[in-house]
Amino acid sequence: MADTPPPPPSFAKQLERLEEIVRRLESQELDLDDSLKLFEEGVERLRVMRERLTATEATVKRVLRREDTGGE
Amino acid sequence: MGQGLDLFAAASAEGAWSVAEVTRRARAVVEAGLPLLWVRGEVSGFKRWQSGHWYFALRDRTAQLRCVMFARENRRLPESPADGTQVFVFGRPTMWEEKGEFRLTVLELLSTEAGGLWQVALEKAKAALLRDGLLDPARKRPVPLYPRRIAVITSPDAAALGDIEAVVTRRWPLAELVLIPTRVQGDGAEAAVCAALASLGRVPGLDVAIVGRGGGSKEDLWTFNSERVARAVAAAPVPIISAVGHEADVTLCDLVADLRAPTPSAAAAAATPDRVEVLEHLAHLGARLSRGLASRADLVRERLDRSLDDLEAAMALRLERYRHRLAAASGQLDALSPLKILERGYAVARDGEGRVLRRVAQFPAGLRFRLRVSDGEVPARVADA
Repeated sequence: MADTPPPPPSFAKQLERLEEIVRRLESQELDLDDSLKLFEEGVERLRVMRERLTATEATVKRVLRREDTGGE
Repeated sequence: MGQGLDLFAAASAEGAWSVAEVTRRARAVVEAGLPLLWVRGEVSGFKRWQSGHWYFALRDRTAQLRCVMFARENRRLPESPADGTQVFVFGRPTMWEEKGEFRLTVLELLSTEAGGLWQVALEKAKAALLRDGLLDPARKRPVPLYPRRIAVITSPDAAALGDIEAVVTRRWPLAELVLIPTRVQGDGAEAAVCAALASLGRVPGLDVAIVGRGGGSKEDLWTFNSERVARAVAAAPVPIISAVGHEADVTLCDLVADLRAPTPSAAAAAATPDRVEVLEHLAHLGARLSRGLASRADLVRERLDRSLDDLEAAMALRLERYRHRLAAASGQLDALSPLKILERGYAVARDGEGRVLRRVAQFPAGLRFRLRVSDGEVPARVADA
């Protein structure tokens, strides 16, 4: 199974970061500069995540060889 | 029977039958005379041989019948019958020539207890799992919300796989399905499913695994009632969703799994978020992002305005103070002004360099000097003596 590529980036982590950005922006504790930076990061993340979700690519399917399972 | 008796009566000592001939003949008579039949009785003296064959006797109050159930028949059964069990057996009466023994070759065996041997085996395995804490609900791991890789342990040619693929593609195409093909019923299925479960640890980044099959007969589903498979599920490195495709029958695998789904499709839905809902959530987050920045900007603007006001007020105050000091200073200046004295008729004499001349000695004859009076200066000269 050494040929199995690393898994795609974690959507959960991306979503967590986006939610954190929103919370921080809403908390009003930042100066305008930092707010702008966060806003830009948030918008970019949002765009990437939307793209991943709306992509129509079919599910990648990987079949393990039988000898990998040790069965049969 | 007359004919039989005649047969034996006709034999002389010289023409004696061999043992093998007698037993062979007896076997032919038994097999011809007794059809395949069901027999009811109590199991006694049960013994399993190394070969896997079962040997036991069926008894009732007055008689007993030797039985053999070969491995190829008995391996379909989940459990061997304990001595004392009331059973129905279906078999062929025959003679075992080597031992000269009349016996029944058993093809099928059913326990008369509720649920039969299957139930007995199930309860036994369940008790063992319970004892080891594997049925404790607190053991159940949460299924990750946004899986990246989902392993599917099932038969590669079953409808279950297609169902799972369709649901995952529709709901969460971000996830990658890793199919671990395995036999799910029949000989070797138990070992194959266990091996597939053990191989999950070698899939990097795996979040969850679905183990299952479509519906089938009770015997078909038996693999998932095996204690060995249940223990392999419990030992799996990722949360396991069990989908053994029978709403009614809960298998041991279902009980030990972290989540039980009634069908493979339901398992796929349980393993994935719905992307439509996630997109809605993202839209909501986007709106909050914009509002957050806007209100942030508003706040800064307000603060800026307030600062400007403060600045203006401070400046005004300061100017006022300066004005006061200026007025006071100019009053003082006015009071001290030598011009006031000059207005009263005094004059100040200065030499060419502007030095004030205060003494007679400073006025030699002929010195030119200037006299400052109230409205200007007058050139002057000391008269000759």
